[in-house]
Amino acid sequence: MVSLIANLGMLSVFKYYNFFAESFTDLMHILGWQPNDLTLNIILPVGISFYTFQTLSYTIDIYRKEFEPTKDLISFFTYIAFFPQLVAGPIERASNLLPQIEKPRVFKKTWFNEGVIQILVGLFRKIVIADTIGAYVDLVYGDVSLYNSTTIIIATFLYAFQIYYDFSGYSDIAIGTAKLLGFKFHQNFNIPYFSKSLTEFWRKWHMSLSYWLRDYLYISLGGNRKGIKITYRNLMLTMLLGGLWHGSSWNFIIWGGIHGTVLSIEKYLKATGILNKFKRVGFLGYPITFCVVLLSWVFFRAQDLHSASLAITKIFQFNLGVPYIGDLNVMASSIFVLAIGIIFDLYLFNKKIDLEELGSKFSGVKIAVIAAVIITLINLFYSSSNNFIYFQF
Amino acid sequence: MNKENLKYLVKIALFVLVISFVVDKAVFLVLNKISDKVYSGQSIGKLNQYLKVKDSVDFIVYGSSRANHNIDPRVVSKNSFNIGMDGAKIAYSSVLIQLLPEHKSQTVLLHIDPNYAFNPKYDGGDIAALVSKYNRDKDIKREIDKLSKNNSLQKFFWSLSYNGKVLGILKNYLEPKDDYAKQLGYEPIMVTSMQREIFKNIIDRGDVIDVEAFCGTNYTMNDIYTKALSDIKSFCDANNKKLILFTSPKYEYPCTIVNAKFKALLEDKGLVYYDLVDFFKDDKQLKYWKDKTHLSHLGAEKLSQAMKVIIEKTN
Repeated sequence: MVSLIANLGMLSVFKYYNFFAESFTDLMHILGWQPNDLTLNIILPVGISFYTFQTLSYTIDIYRKEFEPTKDLISFFTYIAFFPQLVAGPIERASNLLPQIEKPRVFKKTWFNEGVIQILVGLFRKIVIADTIGAYVDLVYGDVSLYNSTTIIIATFLYAFQIYYDFSGYSDIAIGTAKLLGFKFHQNFNIPYFSKSLTEFWRKWHMSLSYWLRDYLYISLGGNRKGIKITYRNLMLTMLLGGLWHGSSWNFIIWGGIHGTVLSIEKYLKATGILNKFKRVGFLGYPITFCVVLLSWVFFRAQDLHSASLAITKIFQFNLGVPYIGDLNVMASSIFVLAIGIIFDLYLFNKKIDLEELGSKFSGVKIAVIAAVIITLINLFYSSSNNFIYFQF
Repeated sequence: MNKENLKYLVKIALFVLVISFVVDKAVFLVLNKISDKVYSGQSIGKLNQYLKVKDSVDFIVYGSSRANHNIDPRVVSKNSFNIGMDGAKIAYSSVLIQLLPEHKSQTVLLHIDPNYAFNPKYDGGDIAALVSKYNRDKDIKREIDKLSKNNSLQKFFWSLSYNGKVLGILKNYLEPKDDYAKQLGYEPIMVTSMQREIFKNIIDRGDVIDVEAFCGTNYTMNDIYTKALSDIKSFCDANNKKLILFTSPKYEYPCTIVNAKFKALLEDKGLVYYDLVDFFKDDKQLKYWKDKTHLSHLGAEKLSQAMKVIIEKTN
């Protein structure tokens, strides 16, 4: 209990205090009161959301008697502050990482090959694809009031891939680096946009967070064991808190709310057998899921609630005029590098290959050739780097 | 780690270095061959066209996109070129001016902006736009190194010279255009209806500007800017070039004090400078503008005519 209060207390103060203080002040204003400014000048510690969840999982696993507490303080702190995943995950469970820290590591050629390829693919995803696309997205989302529906739709579509390649790229670098050091992390992304349902999407997107939320929040609330109504409530609460985990703003709460609502609808359709009637057109699940995710990204990307509402309003005005393309070279580069990324993902999807294991298929010389080609591609196409999007969480 | 694993690590590291070095040089040489034949597209083609004509023309325009899109050199002389480049500032222009032939009589029209001159953070980073010639032209390499604007990896990976340019080079190689030869480097902006609508939205919104915060109160010229200006002046004085500096129009620009201080500083240095920021003060038709700092082809036409008069007067 002390551990839970300490961890959640720190997260609450650093990340959420100002949000709730501002919301309280706004509410008081509406009620006609004029309270003093309650906000504090706080600097958010880097990665606090990630290592807090990691520490919580350690405490809860021990409480549930699923894991023996470690007696080695250095191992424990290495687990909490392990540098490849300290600032933006993946959120590793103590049951996976701590035993690896406590045992001596041995060099494995296959892990080395896998690590090298995953790091280079991650770098390509981040500094070539995500950062190139980001230039156009930043321009449009910088002031959505200036653009028509078509432009905002294109920017949102590109943002969906920017955030995917940005965050999965970071995870690839983290997982690959850990492998070079002799540690095996769990997979964090598995081609999430190839999902037939939102439920499937969450099994493939930021898996370390979604499984954390499932195991420590959804199941703790009762999961689906206490009747259908409680299940919907649990789903909704889990996704709302999942949204709030990303940031202290109403945008993230709405983002979580959209996912919670659609996940509940999917559960209802499945439970009542309605989904079975549409099995023949099941492939439509892919575009429908993608559109739902796309819509929710508007709230994730917009600077504030006002911008998000404006973007949504503009999108649904269907003012489908000529889009604003910006710099033609930047747009052409964005489409080109995005095409490389999607073709590579399609290859992995069709061949049912996990990127985490791709490197093990090649000999040392082939690894060097692939590495040289990726390095040359990065040299030719990298874009001036922006910070990783998930560093802010 | 046992000996066998260590050998494997060293072997892979060496392979990666050697193969990436070879692939890099092969790509670099292929792109050199292709890009040398490219005379369209701003980052490579326009620079190639400039290097081709710089020794023969008598009037050249330098500067940023506001030189590139706002001045049609054909209005002033049929034997001219506009090497204005989007994002370029004085460091970039300084290098190109100093590539001009010695002692040939030429008029150099350089667009400069007090906002960069008075910006203490200006670091000459725009010179990096010349990086495609880094491993091929010793003068350009020297100037880029002097400002430390090279990527340190570029000494090993030469293909970094072509970062972000490959698609443009290939497109312009496969579909060449002779716009730069025909229009002498000038790139007029034909404003689309979407651009017009966006600009109108911005004007209608009428954002309130905190003039002091927007314009700044620093009137000391940046060291790198001062050095570049002084290099340009010395080169022009020594090599029979007539140097004219100007600032292009801006829509409803509030920083009149900044421009006045800038003008005084330049005149103290014995430079010829024309502040045209308020050129459209009495004729605010939106058809002359693409946005608050760039003119449409109609606005550029008017400004170029005025520039012709200025240059004739200076002669």
